[in-house]
Amino acid sequence: MIQKKICLLGSFSVGKTSLISRYVNSLFSEKYLTTVGVKIDKKQLTHDGNELSLIIWDIAGEDDFTNIRTAYLRGMAGYIIVIDGTRQNSYDVALSIHEMVKQHVGELPMVFALNKADLKPHWQVDGQHIRPLEQFGYPVLETSAKLDNGVADIFLALIKQWGSNHD
Amino acid sequence: MTKLLSAIYDSLNIVVFVREPNGCFTLHNPAPEWLVFFLGKSSYPQTCDLPELFPYLTCFMDDAEQHWHEHLATPLASGSWIETDELGNELALEATAVWVDDHAVLLLQNLGEKYRQEVSRLQQVRNGLLTQEKLENEVQKRTIKIKQREEEIAIKLVSVTSYRDEETGAHVRRIGLYAAAMAKALNWPTQQIDDIRIAAPMHDLGKIGIPDKILLKKGKLTNVEFSIMKRHTEIGAKMLQDANIPALDMAAEIALCHHEKWDGSGYPRELKGENIPITARITSIVDIYDALVHERVYKKAMCEKDAIALMSSMAGSHLDPELFAVFLELLPVMRRIRTEVHEIKDLIVSY
Repeated sequence: MIQKKICLLGSFSVGKTSLISRYVNSLFSEKYLTTVGVKIDKKQLTHDGNELSLIIWDIAGEDDFTNIRTAYLRGMAGYIIVIDGTRQNSYDVALSIHEMVKQHVGELPMVFALNKADLKPHWQVDGQHIRPLEQFGYPVLETSAKLDNGVADIFLALIKQWGSNHD
Repeated sequence: MTKLLSAIYDSLNIVVFVREPNGCFTLHNPAPEWLVFFLGKSSYPQTCDLPELFPYLTCFMDDAEQHWHEHLATPLASGSWIETDELGNELALEATAVWVDDHAVLLLQNLGEKYRQEVSRLQQVRNGLLTQEKLENEVQKRTIKIKQREEEIAIKLVSVTSYRDEETGAHVRRIGLYAAAMAKALNWPTQQIDDIRIAAPMHDLGKIGIPDKILLKKGKLTNVEFSIMKRHTEIGAKMLQDANIPALDMAAEIALCHHEKWDGSGYPRELKGENIPITARITSIVDIYDALVHERVYKKAMCEKDAIALMSSMAGSHLDPELFAVFLELLPVMRRIRTEVHEIKDLIVSY
């Protein structure tokens, strides 16, 4: 069994906890309950004949009063930065988090998750925002924890990177 | 004393572990109920591998080891994390490393009500931030609408003069877009980029005050007629000034100075070099470009290559050479604006 630590990062209220809850427990709640500190979940799966145990760290979102402790990133094998498509601010936070992670732990497999795809008519994040994300060279995927769209895909996209050049 | 300490630990929901030289942790007070599920037994003293039990601690142990290594008596907190107990309830825990009496001590606290209060406080703060974000977005949307209206009003205003001379609505619109592209390349603030997009098209507004017999004259103007024609700069500036609207103030500046030349041979005030407002120097470049590459009643359109050659000969005498260099860098953008904005119905062009 191969164990990998994954961190979910992003601004507050972008849906990190909802994505994990959907992926690990197949549950979704409309109610926004803020995360304080860190919550760790586990998900076991088989990929390409390998048994994987994902240790998923749900890290409290960044806001004006809360910064991510860089110690949380220790031992991380990859990360997912979650953006709320309806909030331009969460896009700006995502870019600064990506920069911060690169500075502290270097280049690691990662995925940008554009969450709340079920609210697409209200999105503020559009093509001109997405293109610069794609230029980083990592997958940029749309997700909806509510509709269970693309949720497993973001984790799979990360797993595939371990199997390729980032392992 | 031990009894007293135990009572204090109980009331604070704190458990004391000592880190042994082999890296294991020894429990030093009876395990409270909330911890037994994780330890797997209630006896004490007992040893365990805490980072194995609580994976969160893997990110804290390096800092804790350093803290103990330096024999620091000040507490070092891990930050809170959530565990789920046997009933599915979430527990908020926090570890604290401290050096006490030659021992590496790790305190483990169930934060309980303290954590719930912190969550409640942060929930309120974040809900407030979300509301604030929504309101700011709404203000931004409405500001954009107001800007669009200002722009439309400006275009309508300028189109009044279009009825009298050969300038088309599309020409004045292009002037705004070219000028805004220049401003963007010069890293102007967004507000000023928006202003020049509205202001630059109004550069010839003062022509409204020039008699038809001069404005529409086919042949060459006499000296007297030309001196009257030159007054369109001041007339335009007077029409636009003192509005206390940034875009109109800028438009007044452009209207007054767009016929000034870099070498001081322009009019009405014969300003030289950087004494000419940059807004007017930009407008001058883009106005000449657009006029050269488009057909007029009295002339054919010049090909872009010839137009650029002619303008290059004007750089340093008529035109600001540095701004002209910026313009040349932006030629693909200018070309796109030129080819996409033909008629007044093409007004919506993003850049």
